[in-house]
Amino acid sequence: MESTYLTLLSTVVFLPALGALVLAFFPREKTEAMKYFALGVTALVFLLTLIMALPSAGDWQFDAAVTDMQKVFSVGWIPSFNINYFMGLDGISFPLVLLTTFVTMLSMAASWPIEKHVKAYCILFLILETGVLGVFLALDFFLFYVFWEVMLLPMYFLIGVWGGPRREYAAIKFFLYTLLGGVFMLIAILMLYFSSDLKMLSKDQLVAAHVISPELSEGEQAARFAEIQAHTTPRRTFNILALQQLGQHTDAFNGDVLGKPLQWWAFLLLLIGFVIKVPSVPLHTWLPDAHVEAPTPISMILAGILLKLGGYGIIRICYPICPQAGYELAYFVCALGVVSMVYGAFAALAQKDFKRLVAYSSVSHMGYVVLGIGVWSAVAGNEFNADAWKMGMNGAMFQMIAHGIASPGMFFMVGVIYERVHHRNLDQFGGLFAKMPLYSGLAIGIFFAGLGLPGLCGFIGEVFVTLSVWSFNHTLAVVTASVVVLTAAYILWTLQRVYLGPEYKGPHGDHLHPMTTRELAIALPLFVLAIAMGVYPQMVFHYMTPSVNQTVDDLAGWAQRNAANLPQMAAFDPTAPAPVAPALVQAEIQ
Amino acid sequence: MDPVTTLPVLLGIAWLVPLASFTLILLFGPRMGKHGQGAGVLATAAIGTSAILSLIALFFVWVPAYDWAPEHHAAHAEHGAADHHDTGHGDAGHDDAHEKDAHGADEHKAEEHKTADEHHEWRKPYVAGEWYTLGQFGKLRIGISYYIDSLTVTMFAMITFIATMIHFYANGYMHDELHEITDHEVTLSNGHHLHRPGRFHRFFQYLSLFCFSMLGIVIAGNIAMVFVFWELVGICSYFLIGFYIERKSASNAANKAFIVNRVGDFGMIIGLMILIATLGTFSFGDIDTDGDGTVEPGIFSLVRTEANNHALVVPDGMVRAAAASEIAAGVEPSAEQIAKWRAETGPGGIGRTAYWLLIVAGLGIFCGCVGKSAQFPLHVWLPDAMEGPTPVSALVHSATMVAAGVYLVGRFYPVFTPETLLVIAIIGCITLFIAATIAIVAVDIKRVLAYSTVSQLGYMMLALGVGGWSAGMFHLITHAFFKSLLFMCSGSVIHAVHTNDMTKMGGLRHKMPFTAYTMLAGCLAIMGAGIPFMIGLSGYYSKDAILAQALSFKASNPQWGFLFYVAAAGAAITAFYMFRLWFMTFAGKPRDHHAYDHAHESPKIMYYPLIVLAVLAVVVAWPFWPVSIVALLEQARPEGFHETVNGVLVSNLTHPAEHISHEPNFHNQATWVATFVGLSGLGLAIVFYGLSLLNPAEVARQFKPVYTFLWNKWYFDELYDYLFVKPTLFVANRVAEFDKVVIDGIIDSLAMLTRMVARLDDLSDRYLVDGFVNGLAAWTYATGSKLRSAETGRIRQYVMFIVVGTVAMFVLISLYIS
Repeated sequence: MESTYLTLLSTVVFLPALGALVLAFFPREKTEAMKYFALGVTALVFLLTLIMALPSAGDWQFDAAVTDMQKVFSVGWIPSFNINYFMGLDGISFPLVLLTTFVTMLSMAASWPIEKHVKAYCILFLILETGVLGVFLALDFFLFYVFWEVMLLPMYFLIGVWGGPRREYAAIKFFLYTLLGGVFMLIAILMLYFSSDLKMLSKDQLVAAHVISPELSEGEQAARFAEIQAHTTPRRTFNILALQQLGQHTDAFNGDVLGKPLQWWAFLLLLIGFVIKVPSVPLHTWLPDAHVEAPTPISMILAGILLKLGGYGIIRICYPICPQAGYELAYFVCALGVVSMVYGAFAALAQKDFKRLVAYSSVSHMGYVVLGIGVWSAVAGNEFNADAWKMGMNGAMFQMIAHGIASPGMFFMVGVIYERVHHRNLDQFGGLFAKMPLYSGLAIGIFFAGLGLPGLCGFIGEVFVTLSVWSFNHTLAVVTASVVVLTAAYILWTLQRVYLGPEYKGPHGDHLHPMTTRELAIALPLFVLAIAMGVYPQMVFHYMTPSVNQTVDDLAGWAQRNAANLPQMAAFDPTAPAPVAPALVQAEIQ
Repeated sequence: MDPVTTLPVLLGIAWLVPLASFTLILLFGPRMGKHGQGAGVLATAAIGTSAILSLIALFFVWVPAYDWAPEHHAAHAEHGAADHHDTGHGDAGHDDAHEKDAHGADEHKAEEHKTADEHHEWRKPYVAGEWYTLGQFGKLRIGISYYIDSLTVTMFAMITFIATMIHFYANGYMHDELHEITDHEVTLSNGHHLHRPGRFHRFFQYLSLFCFSMLGIVIAGNIAMVFVFWELVGICSYFLIGFYIERKSASNAANKAFIVNRVGDFGMIIGLMILIATLGTFSFGDIDTDGDGTVEPGIFSLVRTEANNHALVVPDGMVRAAAASEIAAGVEPSAEQIAKWRAETGPGGIGRTAYWLLIVAGLGIFCGCVGKSAQFPLHVWLPDAMEGPTPVSALVHSATMVAAGVYLVGRFYPVFTPETLLVIAIIGCITLFIAATIAIVAVDIKRVLAYSTVSQLGYMMLALGVGGWSAGMFHLITHAFFKSLLFMCSGSVIHAVHTNDMTKMGGLRHKMPFTAYTMLAGCLAIMGAGIPFMIGLSGYYSKDAILAQALSFKASNPQWGFLFYVAAAGAAITAFYMFRLWFMTFAGKPRDHHAYDHAHESPKIMYYPLIVLAVLAVVVAWPFWPVSIVALLEQARPEGFHETVNGVLVSNLTHPAEHISHEPNFHNQATWVATFVGLSGLGLAIVFYGLSLLNPAEVARQFKPVYTFLWNKWYFDELYDYLFVKPTLFVANRVAEFDKVVIDGIIDSLAMLTRMVARLDDLSDRYLVDGFVNGLAAWTYATGSKLRSAETGRIRQYVMFIVVGTVAMFVLISLYIS
């Protein structure tokens, strides 16, 4: 079985890179053919992942009922450091993989207007896809890091070469931010690696982490286990699943570093690395610049997929590996999310550049993701009821997918109009509804998805995240709820300035010809998906909920086991009566 | 027909037909007949179908299946015979299935339930169930479900019927949109008026979606689903109000409507959060969602438990939430412990905190209603919403959108504590007064009606807030008939004279008699005209009921007596401004001859619906029909509101049971008061506008400050602009600046710093490091060149140097060793 999965997942990941290699041999002047080829490759990858979602795909089928990793394979890569070529899928990564292949395909279709260095563009574009898919599939932390960096370079060039007037500034800014995050991540990876020890895990845990292959017979497993135990030195590992087991079931990462447990620092470093990508305030300013300068298809990928890597990292790595740090920093993470939501919405309200506005809306919408992942309500009120957290984390995951549909849609819609009139000044639009009714209708629909209108995809994620917050903290909940007003304000005001009104106020009004078939073929699927996901969210929850619930249950279980040693979270709650208060009052009296 | 299986199907189809119409028009609208005319036919047919299905559901399914008590719960022993085994409770039978379903798991409770039933036998009939799930996480579940009681069925019939009338009317009114249109209100930059293609089909597309969303609110079986359709109604009204997208005023009004509504939704979300966090369910009724045979109690059953005889009780979940810090980790608190906590209602007690949670949850939901039903302080959007085409106003301001808020208060009534109800009453009272006063001076015919709507909605809220559940819902239904009539009449006038300004009208009854006299019927209905104790128009009955309940509330709570006086004063003002409107429009001499000369009666498709509605506005509330509205509503009365209830936090707060207000001492007094204030308002209008005995302009001059204040609508728009809009934009700009200046400033200066360090590094490399290396090299070179003089090129000399050197070395070494 493992060899089947090896072939399947490796094909998914490396097919784009292979395509890039083939592209290198294309004659220079055949630009149209290159674009078709690249589109073909992305479509093929999408098809491959789509087949996995189908119920009758045999070995390839992604089984939604399984909560654990599936399609797992592990092959030795750098044995001296115990690094493996180790990949797998679960309900958290699979929807994101599907989203990636889908949005990449649409973005490639949106790349037709690119005329400069087409060959290089297509090659970088495909390598980028390989990098992103690799990150989502990798289960070895080192592999994860490698793919993380692989994804960085093509993006740098795609912004820096094919971007707008300030492209170099934007590209460097993007590069440095992400690199900085990467460096933090590397430090954390090494910290975790050098405190890990597989010998601390039981045989069952090692099997669950695929350190010992579950396909082996009972006897072989026992032999492998004995072999691991026989070592005199600690057995270090980069295996993410094993690190999760170590984090949740042992005190491997609790060593003291500068007065805090090691996992506290690791969590913080990883979190910084990931929220740069999300991005959360105050590490977000690379995003508007990158978006404004990037060409439309790259903006689509950036908003639709790359931002999700941050959320994925938090959900896959930060919390499961460092649960205690996650518990202690729960308020920090949630506050980060809420601040981003509010801040992004306010900033969006003040923008004059259409693309910048959409970029800030991403900051605001991705705040929901961070918040939903972080609402550690499992122990609020001393009652172990993780239901609200499940709702929050599922909401956050849904929000990632929903934002991955709505946001590329919004950027594409901005791109369509930019291509015609070559400006993005919000004060110089108006009246587009009369000139391009089909385009305007689709655009308004997609923007409403961003606004979180019921019946469209944005609503489901936002509402589930929002509803989950009350159990965690009342103040944050009220602030979260208030964002709906700001979101409505900036989206409606934008629609009014761009699409409504009697006439177009900017230059090149005569270029406002209706949408082409190619443009329609990109916008329509996004629009239809936005509706489908909004009306029938189970189509996404079906795949993700079992795994997300498992993650939450694991963490809640950890909290329950360690309840005695944990500070009471309810004590942090400003609305709950603080247990220390009477003592303080007495001290003051004396 | 078995209502349990039939009603969800009938009403479900009635609900979905407009959605189908919307989808079809969206896809094929422009190609439907000539210029999209078919869209109007399709939408009308769709809503007509819904109306027929709803009426069937009402008269042929609901009415035969359930008997009802004509006045209050005296005859409630008679109850639904239908079998409700899959819908929680629905009848009072001690049948085994019910016992097993609801309480089989808990013997103790089941016993309590039996004793409770002996006290209180009547069970409100309803049908509840789920269609499909949106998401389920652990026990938390949110789905698309239904809750059908007689209120649902009545609202369905009312909404679909009025909407059908409005659709017919709109086919005539929107006729212009079938052709190329010149919009005289929009001037382009080249000085011409805007020409645009007609958008007939789009109007009906929105109208269909609107009906679908509204019916969705009414049929919704849980509060989250209400919220879903609540938002959809909001966005439909956004499209409809902003129908003339080219007009800045229209798109502004649309934005305002949606954003102000979202402010209300903000409160509603908080309410939802509290409910899901503490109760773990959104469902109204008791449904067996997971199909395991046990019925999960809905919100209503949790708040008004059978064990407590359906009186308000703070649910366990809220008590536990309030006692969070008391509960030891992992220990399940016992029922006795929870009861003990619940009883701690003194200051600082857990029970009090829990009670507060219930109040805040209720107020949160009410916030949404404040937005949707345009109550103070969120009433500002409704008058601006007049920018939409008139049929929209009729739909938005009568049967649907604004009714949604009042409907939800009525639906969610069991969860409101007496304190919450008091807030609702006060908000309603303030609203009805403010709006009525503004309506006195407005001259835009639609705006007068808009403010009148706000004022009437205030009445309904007031009624609900003082315990008059059926009075409030009754007024909601009668108001829907006469207000849609009034709006459509005003539309007919506007259609004829092409202006909204009443100062340019006058004498129009000669030109358009149908419109004039149907509107007169509407004015009489809203004024509540009738022969005391004999018969009256629809408003007569519902307004009397409200005043009687307010009077009864005043008797129990003298300190809140002003609620009654304001309501009575409001009734007088209502009569005054409505007849002011009628006289200014239809009576007297024409003020603008150009407009008058072109005026004409509207086509049949427009005035036939007016006649139908006028007849209904007169007769719909008559109590002597075999199926009277009051009796139907009484059947849906929330459990627990048959008795007088008392507040906990506010002392001396008593909500008298509604049947008390039917007793002669309240009822007669209320009738006389209503008649008197109505006539005095009418009299004043006749004095000023009918007979022109007094000159209104003169009065306005004399009371200039008051007049200006009212003319500027109490300066709410200016106030909000100053308080909210400007600060928000200010903060937004500062945030954007913060990004640019501070964050990017730090980042960019870090980058600069790095470059400076790099340059320093470069300099030091060049001058220090390289300087040293180069210096060393230079010194070596210089020494070398100096030594060059020793290089003579003669072999003998070199050999001599070597020999001397070697000898010297040996000498030195030998010396050193020894």
